[in-house]
Amino acid sequence: MSNLLPLSLLKTAQGHPMLVELKNGETYNGHLVNCDTWMNIHLREVICTSKDGDRFWRMPECYIRGNTIKYLRVPDEVIDKVQEETKSRSDRKPPGVGRGRGRGREDGPGGRPAKGIGRGLEDGGSKGAGGGRGKGGPGGKGSGNRGGGRGRG
Amino acid sequence: MSGRKETVLDLAKFVDKGVQVKLTGGRQVTGTLKGYDQLLNLVLDEAVEFLRDPDDPLKTTDQTRRLGLIVCRGTAVMLVSPTDGTDEIANPFVQPDGA
Repeated sequence: MSNLLPLSLLKTAQGHPMLVELKNGETYNGHLVNCDTWMNIHLREVICTSKDGDRFWRMPECYIRGNTIKYLRVPDEVIDKVQEETKSRSDRKPPGVGRGRGRGREDGPGGRPAKGIGRGLEDGGSKGAGGGRGKGGPGGKGSGNRGGGRGRG
Repeated sequence: MSGRKETVLDLAKFVDKGVQVKLTGGRQVTGTLKGYDQLLNLVLDEAVEFLRDPDDPLKTTDQTRRLGLIVCRGTAVMLVSPTDGTDEIANPFVQPDGA
């Protein structure tokens, strides 16, 4: 039932000290200022350690691109905090009435006739007739029907 | 969430300041940030690349290469930090990981 999402943990860790190791082996110790859904990270009061651990730099702040991160170490107390937060969140929203997330309705094979047909002919096989990638993203905020919005104008 | 697509770091405060940029593959460049976009493409003026030890590409040497005005492609940017206040220091960890 309770699933600890990595990015929620990270979000909760804002303001805490943490260690970030990059894929290239460098590590960065600093206080997390901010992070986003790509795991891009903004640290303050940073100490950078080279891969072999024999050179050190201090920098007032740095921005790290999420996709270069290998792992992060966060303080233990963050997990207590994140559990509190997720608990209070689930208290506030009764379970079972979620409007669902993601892609809205799949109208069976053929998909989205309104958009599909006319263009399907010209576009040929490039993306398939169903309107291509649709939206699909992790948010699912814009309730279902915006699905085809991003087609190929 | 403000204006442009939410950015973790507001690069505006680095414009016309010195920044250090690490790129995927290991290149390391410093320069004056002249501009940027939401994809993290950067324009650096008077950019200088720190050359690496040919035997050990992990290590940067003191040798540099002047690049002039460059555009760093956002997808290749790994790390951005201000050069101001960035210094090499002695080991700040008393015991390097005592565990």
